[in-house]
Amino acid sequence: MIDSPSNRDADAAIRSTDTDASQSRLSAVRRDYLKDPFIHLLVPRAHSAPPRPPLINIGTYVRAEAIDKLVYRWLNLRVTDNRKKQVVSLGAGSDTRFWRIASSSCKERLARYVEIDFPEVTGKKAMSIRKHKELSILLGENVKIIAGGTGLSAEVYHLEPIDLRLPPESTLGVLVQNGVLDPTLPTLFIAECVFVYLRPSVSHGIVSWFTSTITGGCSGLIYEMFGLNDSFGRVMKENLRARNIEIPGVEESSALEAQLQRLFNGGIQSAQAMTLRTVRQKCISEEELSRISRLEMLDEVEELDLVLSHYVLTWGYSLPNGVTDEEREHWKAWEL
Amino acid sequence: MADLDRQIEQLLQCEPISEAQVKQLCSKAREILIEEANVQYVDSPVTICGDVHGQFWDVMELFKVGGMCPDTSYLFMGDFVDRGFYSVETFLLLLAYKVRYPDRITLIRGNHESRQITQVYGFYDECTRKYGTSNVWRYCCEVFDYLALGAIVDGRVFCVHGGLSPNLTTIDGIRAIDRKQEVPHDGPMCDLLWSDPDDIQGWGLSPRGAGFLFGSDIVKSFAHSNDIELIARAHQLAMEGYKLMFDKKIVTVWSAPNYCYRCGNVASILELDDQLRQEYKVFSHAVSDVRSVPAKLPPAEYFL
Repeated sequence: MIDSPSNRDADAAIRSTDTDASQSRLSAVRRDYLKDPFIHLLVPRAHSAPPRPPLINIGTYVRAEAIDKLVYRWLNLRVTDNRKKQVVSLGAGSDTRFWRIASSSCKERLARYVEIDFPEVTGKKAMSIRKHKELSILLGENVKIIAGGTGLSAEVYHLEPIDLRLPPESTLGVLVQNGVLDPTLPTLFIAECVFVYLRPSVSHGIVSWFTSTITGGCSGLIYEMFGLNDSFGRVMKENLRARNIEIPGVEESSALEAQLQRLFNGGIQSAQAMTLRTVRQKCISEEELSRISRLEMLDEVEELDLVLSHYVLTWGYSLPNGVTDEEREHWKAWEL
Repeated sequence: MADLDRQIEQLLQCEPISEAQVKQLCSKAREILIEEANVQYVDSPVTICGDVHGQFWDVMELFKVGGMCPDTSYLFMGDFVDRGFYSVETFLLLLAYKVRYPDRITLIRGNHESRQITQVYGFYDECTRKYGTSNVWRYCCEVFDYLALGAIVDGRVFCVHGGLSPNLTTIDGIRAIDRKQEVPHDGPMCDLLWSDPDDIQGWGLSPRGAGFLFGSDIVKSFAHSNDIELIARAHQLAMEGYKLMFDKKIVTVWSAPNYCYRCGNVASILELDDQLRQEYKVFSHAVSDVRSVPAKLPPAEYFL
């Protein structure tokens, strides 16, 4: 990719989506939709971050709850020899998941947690982590600064500046060579709003790299907008374009099958997909729905359903070779 | 009058009038609205409009399709403010028309014409941003308290922002409400502004947390006992601009195209002629140009 000024602007626009996502999360936390004791440490100028409208708070809550549930359930799945697991967060941005896991009982299950993003993003995150004791203390004793200050390396946690558009053999492959990633461990890659910004061939290459490299069982979890071949979708693309954000990797079809196929094509054996609208209707308990309905008055349900039906979670796994029937059954329970 | 005509001209350019002018306009509007009934009588022909939500340039599209006030007689079913970028200009323009041509435009109250809701959904912030203080918001809220709760066209078409209430079986029952107050959290006045028709029988809990869901049996019995041929209401996004339900006994009219600059929907207005024949006129959102979107983009309302 040629680093022309317009490409740099486009990259900056994509990086700005992280600020948007983290401010939305902060807003949902401040309104008591979510609990997250770390997010304010990672949002730039958190004190002046604007509150977001109720619809955005609710959608942020549904998204976060669903992804959290899937990740914690994945960590708790029983695997042979009780092996520890590793998580790779692609385009991690200001995500706080590592710190939330590290301060929970699930931390025992975690061998590695690797965050990947543009160097501009990882550099700022590395600085925030070193600045805030609440964050750095959970990394343990041996924290090394890497890549000229744009990355960090600790026992479990690794922050790696990588441009995901480059061939995975030369980027992710290096993480295997230098021992950051252990291909024999059960591995989950998370792509929250990442693949839409990449060409489909590039995201296909990333998924294929994981399934062909990881021998300990490879799982994937993708969250993004989809089904944009309707009037809502056309407006979304126009509105994002007005911010210089292009989404060449978005799935135009509103068929969930197309989401599954992307994982299957990349070598994942078993997968499921669900829109955020369905997640809200089927996977959030009555008590929770009633609790969040009291936080703010949601004035419009049609609009919420319309918006949520354009975001999808897709998750799936491939079993390692020689897996027992018992473990096979455990994996089937990885559901929302 | 000349002053008011000049203010209308200014507002038609999407330029806010001064705080002193707002104060005076709101005070005159209250004098007119206080004389109106809870359910205001309106004569046909009339053009019925749903939510417009501060989408000023789309209201201009609406007038292009429906004709200007006072040439066309209008009935707006509430939700003038919040969400859009120009709630101030939109509401003040409609209010200026109301004061200038009180018999040619009827404004009834929507659930967003409330102190509580406007503090969450944008109108309060817009007022303080455009005027530096919350005075204009306060003047407008005082007007909200005087808006009628419904209207009835030729005694046959009942118009209300949201819908029906389990505590009100007759239109006369609505006349007994003391409406001059902030929208309550529950009770008949709240239900009129918050309820929705739904494919159920009887009454159901509303997912909105206020008002109720009501089924076709409720609509039919209300229409029968009040000798009504149609209930026109707004309140719910209709992707095609309007939605008839329950053997065409109730219709949702939605007048905010590309709602929130995000939904991609079309909008409509309902023209009732002097025989109360219905014609739905569908329209799209204004072409976005430098005028329709503020220079500084607000945050993208997407989950990125």
